[in-house]
Formats: sequence, structure tokens, C-alpha cells
Amino acid sequence: MGGIRAEGLTKVYRRGGVRAVDGIDLDVREGQVFAFLGENGSGKTTTVRMLTTLLRPTSGRAWVAGFDVVERPGDVRRAAGVALQEVGLDDLQTARELLELQARLFGLSRGEARRRAGELLAVVGLEADADRRLGTYSGGMRRRLDLAAALVHRPRVLFLDEPTTGLDPGSRESVWQYIRSINREEGVTVFLTTQYLEEADRLADEVAIIHRGRIVAQGSPEALKSSIGADVIAVELGEDPSAIALAVEALTPLTAAAEKRVADGHLYLYVREGARLVPRVVVELERVGVRPRAVTVARPTLDDVFLRITGHHLAVQPPATAGDGAAGPRANLRAAKSPEREGDR
Amino acid sequence: MNTLRATWLLTIRALREIVRQPVNEVGNLVIPLFFFAVTVGAVGRVAERAFGVENFTGFQMPVAVLNAAASGTAGLAITQDVVSGYFEKLLLTPAPRFAVVFGRVTADSVKAAVLAALIAGIGLLVGTGFAAGPLGFLLLVGMAGAFGFVFSAFGVAFGLRTGSPQAAQLSFLLFFPLLFLSPAFAPKEVFAPWLSFAATINPVTYVLEGMRSLVLEGWDGGALLRAFGAIAGIGGFTLSLTAWALRSRG
Repeated sequence: MGGIRAEGLTKVYRRGGVRAVDGIDLDVREGQVFAFLGENGSGKTTTVRMLTTLLRPTSGRAWVAGFDVVERPGDVRRAAGVALQEVGLDDLQTARELLELQARLFGLSRGEARRRAGELLAVVGLEADADRRLGTYSGGMRRRLDLAAALVHRPRVLFLDEPTTGLDPGSRESVWQYIRSINREEGVTVFLTTQYLEEADRLADEVAIIHRGRIVAQGSPEALKSSIGADVIAVELGEDPSAIALAVEALTPLTAAAEKRVADGHLYLYVREGARLVPRVVVELERVGVRPRAVTVARPTLDDVFLRITGHHLAVQPPATAGDGAAGPRANLRAAKSPEREGDR
Repeated sequence: MNTLRATWLLTIRALREIVRQPVNEVGNLVIPLFFFAVTVGAVGRVAERAFGVENFTGFQMPVAVLNAAASGTAGLAITQDVVSGYFEKLLLTPAPRFAVVFGRVTADSVKAAVLAALIAGIGLLVGTGFAAGPLGFLLLVGMAGAFGFVFSAFGVAFGLRTGSPQAAQLSFLLFFPLLFLSPAFAPKEVFAPWLSFAATINPVTYVLEGMRSLVLEGWDGGALLRAFGAIAGIGGFTLSLTAWALRSRG
């Protein structure tokens, strides 16, 4: 009863007739962490707004914790905690006042609200600043408080719309830890939208990739990556089209059966036993006078899945460690995922 | 969560905000008092001869009260909540949506009553007198609160519909033509026919005359009934407008 289901959920905005969400089906099981991965404008937030009763679907149906989002919005609100992408706080209140008010609006008594606010302030590490006005809070503190506000009534389902956008790496890690702990310890179903591959990969039991309002792939991160069924050789060539054309021509005999994609100045080859093929790739490129900046081989990532399905990278840089910025999205993902590549998953 | 309880909780929050920004309220008290003083100073001496008004200070004091009561900021505050995203956080609770609006306008109503008490108190000090006595004083304060409530809903409707703080403040600008088209500075009897007609169909006229009756005449049931009827009429219009605007917010 703590899951989420949708059948043919669609939203067409009257202004401009934009079909923001186009008939999506969802089945998120109770206790699952489900990530909705997609670019800006792909329909993630519109889906969350429909599931949380803020927006009425144009067609289709959806249930949250067993309640129809159109017919029983009050029950949906009681069952769901929501932290939207824009952290909506009132700068003139203190954190304690905001949490107590939120708790009371969910029907807790004054004493219960006070206790719950105290508990949550401790959990998100804001006890020391609990009586400061929110106008003085940093972005990370506001995000943590927003998360606490979403949990004040012990929801069965938690919706998080891009919960770590704009956070520094330390704050991001602490938000992830907290999401994991409420999911594991309290069995809360988590539905999170993200444009960060690492976030989806590390947190989610199941990932759905949404592209132009439609779900184009769905499964566990491992299953999605396995669906590529090959290693990925990335040949960094820069933006010179003649070098790319030469490289494709030169490598075709070598990798005739392999799938190839060109994106962001890279040629990607999806091949079996990629490591064994790399020296021959380099030799062939040398032969035709193409000097790649780098040739790397890796197990597929969610970015490869995204690239394969949509034809381009999920071009979003997470607020990762310094120095990652210049290397492009794939490199960001690689840097962030290095422990997993060593086999921790 | 019923509407009354949710409204109470949200009113407390809105009042706390008002108290935390006292500077914003200084103008809402000083400006009506300034116009009160200037008008009485300029016209007070000739008012008796020109309009037959003996107690022009008492005649003007309810104008200052109405002026202050119309200075509600619920529309602006709710627009700021919309812009900051806090409005949606409130909509995501099981609190009835109307309570989210009622909380703000009730706080404006309380503010209007407090400002009215201060202005009427200052009026007493400068010699307005109060024909209806202490109970009449309380009724005037209550009337100002009720007018503050319904007029504040104007700004809320504009703010919710447009999401613009500037539009939310239009309600205060709208108040001035209504005030000038009422017998604010002279009795209706001396008006030109067109102005007299405008004053007759203007609900603010009846609110003003009801308040004035308490100060100048004592208990006039007819004037009070018309005043509360006008407030109810304004409320019917502004609250319907607010309900319509609220629906546009999902």
C-alpha cells in the first residue's frame, strides 16, 4: 500500500499545447528507491507534481499509497512527503517554527509537533541553528531542512525532486546517506527525480529514463547497464569532423559488428572484450594519421545507456570534486564511480 | 485538519511575520494619521460654515481608520510565498486550501483592528469624542477588522492570479478612487449630482457612514446595518474572486 502506480499518465499544458508527460506507466513497489532520470524539460517534475496532487493530469490515472491522486488528494497528501526542486521556505520563520507548523498542519498536537521537530532537527544536523531565521541559512542547510519538513508526518512515500541540485559534494553525500537510512530503517518508498547519473546509480533500486515525456528505459541500474551487453571504448577525438570520419572508417573493419556512436567529440564503440581491442584501435588510428587525445575502455554506465537510447549524453555536471568540470559528463561519472568500477556493487 | 484550526495556525504564522517586520507597519499607521492631521488642519475651520459639520475632527477620524484598514499586505505576502515556493509546501499539507488564504487575510484583519484602535485612541486624545461610548469604540475597531479582512482578499486574488507582487498591491491603489468617490471629505449632500450618484453606489460610503455614526451620532441601527451589509457585499465579491484565483493555483 506504500507504493506508486500510474497508468497512461499524461499532462498537456493548455498554453502552447506542450505534451510534458506522454502516457507513462509506473509501478513502484513499497519500500523501493525509484529514480526518475532525465534532462531538464524531460517531464520529471511534471510527473512529480501530478503524483503529489499539485497538478491535475490531462488523462491517465495514478495512485500513491493506494489512493487515487485525483479522487483522494487529501489522503495522498497525508501519505506522501514532498521536497520539491525549489526549496520553499519562509525566511522569516526559524527552522523549529517551520517544522512545528508543518507538523501541526498534518494534524499533530502541539506537544507531538514540538517533539517531532526536535527529532528531525537532530537528524538533519540543524539543532544548533534551530532558532535562527531561515533567511540566514545556506543552500545546504535549507535543503536539509526542506527534507526534514517533508518527513515531519512520517510519510509512507517520499517524493524528492532533484534533491541534491546545487549542493556541494559534502552536503550531497549527507543527503544521500539520509535518504538511504529512511528507506532502510523506516521502509519509506522513495521516488526521486534526478539528472545526476551517479545519484540514480548509487541510490536507486530501479531507474526509469524519461525522455521527451516518455519512459524510454526502465530497470535496475545493473540491468540497464547489462542491456548494453558490451564494454565501451571511448576514443576522444575533439570536434574535428574529418578526424572523426577518418576514425570511423578506419575502425569499421575492426569493429564491424559493434555499435558506434559519436557524441561530444568522442567516438564510442560498444564491443565485447574491449580491453583486448584497445591496442588494435590505437594502431588503426595511427595508420590513418588520427591521433586521439585519449582512448579508454570501461564497463557501461548509465550515461552509456542514456547515450544509446537518446543519442546524446545526459549533459549535466554534478557538483562533483574540483577538476572534474573540464572533462565532460562521462569523465565526471567515471571519477565519481571509481569505487563501483572496482567491484563494490 | 479543519479549516478553522488550519486558519488559526496560519494566522499565528502571518502575525509573527508582521511583528518581525515592525518597520513595515509604521507607514500604515503614520500615513493615515498624517492625512488626518493635514485634512483637519486645512479644512477643519471652514467645514462648519461650508458643510455644516460641527466636529470635523470626528468626521475625518473614520477616514483615517478606513485608510489604515485597507493597507493589508496579505496579497503581497502570499505572492512572496508563491515566489519562494512556500505556498506549494502549504498546499502539500492536508490543510484546506482556503485556510492558506484565510490565515493571511485574518492576520490583516487583526492588524486593521489594532491600527484602528490606535487611530481612534489618538482621535480621542485630539478631541474627536465618541458618541457611542466604549462599546461603540469596540464596534468601530471590529468594523475596521471586518473591512480589513474582506478588502485584503482583493490583493490576495490579484496576487494569486498573477503571481506578481506589483499586482498584489493594486488593491491599495484601488482603494483610493473608492475613498474619493465616498463622502470622505464632505457630506454627500454638498456633492455634485454625478458624484452623489457615485457615492451612493460605492459600498465604501456605507462603511464610512457606519463608522462615522458611531463617532458623531451614537447608535444608529440603520447606518450600522448598511455598513455591515456593504462589508458583506465587498466580502462576497472579493472572496469569490479569491476562490477563483486559488483554483488557478491547482
